[in-house]
Amino acid sequence: MKLKLIYPKWEKLPGQTTFNLPPHGPVAFAAALPEYVDVSFTDENVEAIDFDDECDLVAISMMLSTQVKRGWEIADCFRCRGKKVIFGGIAVMLHAEDTLAHADSVFLGEAEGRMEEVLNDFSRGELKHLYNYMMRPPDIALVGVARRDLYKKELYNHKGVQMVDLFHASRGCRFSCYPCAVTYLGGRAFRPRPMDKVIEELSTIDNNRLFIVDNSLAQNKEWEKELFRAMEPFKKKWISHTIEDDPEILNLAARAGCWYVYQAVYDTSDYIKERIKRYHDHGLGVEGTVLLGLDNQTEDDIKRLIDFLLEVDLDLAEFTVLTPFPQTKAYNDMLRQGRIFDFDWNHYNAGQVVFTPRNMSADRLQELYESAWTTFYGDESQEAKMFRLFCNVVMREMNEGTYRPRNRELINKSFGMDVVRKIV
Amino acid sequence: MSSGKLFDVTLFIMEALSDYYDEIFDFKGQWDMPSRCGLRIIDRPTGRKTIIVTELYLDNPGSSVTSAGRSLARQICEAKGIDLNDAIYIECNPDMNSKLSFYDEEYFEVRFNGPAPEYRRLDKDELQELFQQ
Repeated sequence: MKLKLIYPKWEKLPGQTTFNLPPHGPVAFAAALPEYVDVSFTDENVEAIDFDDECDLVAISMMLSTQVKRGWEIADCFRCRGKKVIFGGIAVMLHAEDTLAHADSVFLGEAEGRMEEVLNDFSRGELKHLYNYMMRPPDIALVGVARRDLYKKELYNHKGVQMVDLFHASRGCRFSCYPCAVTYLGGRAFRPRPMDKVIEELSTIDNNRLFIVDNSLAQNKEWEKELFRAMEPFKKKWISHTIEDDPEILNLAARAGCWYVYQAVYDTSDYIKERIKRYHDHGLGVEGTVLLGLDNQTEDDIKRLIDFLLEVDLDLAEFTVLTPFPQTKAYNDMLRQGRIFDFDWNHYNAGQVVFTPRNMSADRLQELYESAWTTFYGDESQEAKMFRLFCNVVMREMNEGTYRPRNRELINKSFGMDVVRKIV
Repeated sequence: MSSGKLFDVTLFIMEALSDYYDEIFDFKGQWDMPSRCGLRIIDRPTGRKTIIVTELYLDNPGSSVTSAGRSLARQICEAKGIDLNDAIYIECNPDMNSKLSFYDEEYFEVRFNGPAPEYRRLDKDELQELFQQ
């Protein structure tokens, strides 16, 4: 059986450095397919879709709300050609009802252990319109090694530098944060993968730089320590979301190859300042994630926050505007308050204001968001800051003997496209 | 570099106060997800009933009361023998004693007349009247 797996493109935010990372959801899904399935993968962010390609079934995987409209268009094109289309992925779970109108089948939940049933139904011509596995996660031990062999690796390469590979060691999240839909998507129970499975997967990844995409590693201190101890022998360098602010864990993370972490910066407190310093003291970089537009923020608060970011020596900062994604408390609250004025999912990119803020106009929040980027990167551009972080990791790799030189054959390519060099 | 994950901040471990409800109501949320809310039904002198559903946040494993909306209202009415057309239906966000304003107490009357529910926030006077009865 030939299955064509597609990851729809989305419009990147203007004015920001764009890197296309190899998407994790589709290849994690592909690992759940029976062996007899012949899978091909197209990431539309880096290559065009061949709508006339021979295949038996089209599977569309979507992670972001900004992908769903394009995903629906793609499905409509294939269905016009007589192909059956099944959807899955976290954005499908957020937009399931609308997606059903464009699909022969919609799969909700996690795929492990379930695809044999779906494909048998398909083979018999009895594909169901809906496979509903919401809140019924499979045994986490069933999560297999992601099918990274499906990537066209040269398309995730910028001027000879291979992008990080994505990897996950757990699912679910014990926290339930105001703007986040993770507990709806992955459940409120933290579900770590068995450590032997984590090690097995790490040993298959032919990339010495990773992005650990778990929602937060700060779920369970003992597990976190065990994970970092297990990672150390692989000598990979990695990025992750939040880790526990604990001296022993920071030390273990550094030894395990932590390159930099994402850390939410939500106020101008000494606690945040000291936390960033503690990361730096352990040799870990910090990319601040800064959410603008919360109901308790005034214009002055946002301006103070931006000034604070410049003071605390962040390595990078990523600004987003509050976005009321479906299935979040933010969405419910704003819906009831009649504050959402834009339901075009293409605009749900966390860079475009789609609601009326409490303490300023939507236009003013949009201006402050744009000003945050330009102010923070005013003295040193995002590219320059990223290059500095990159040099740090290269130096560490050279010291440890794990450095891999750039691929000279791809030095004039960026994500599959020719590099246009500006010669002054 | 964009991680795809947009925000992971302000961690809350909270419980909705039981003062807000008389019973826990188990219901089928969106996509049949097992879900729970607080429920209080007030008999009004006019004979109409007021149904108050309270969001339980971390104690609710499934759909929120707002996501479940009309379906939750229907399930409550079926279970309690109430005609929704003859009841006032209210969603409550309980005060979670959080420093963050978006976990403050709020009450919304919900009407299910059109394709999408209509919400109206109750003011202090209306709340006083509601709970004095």
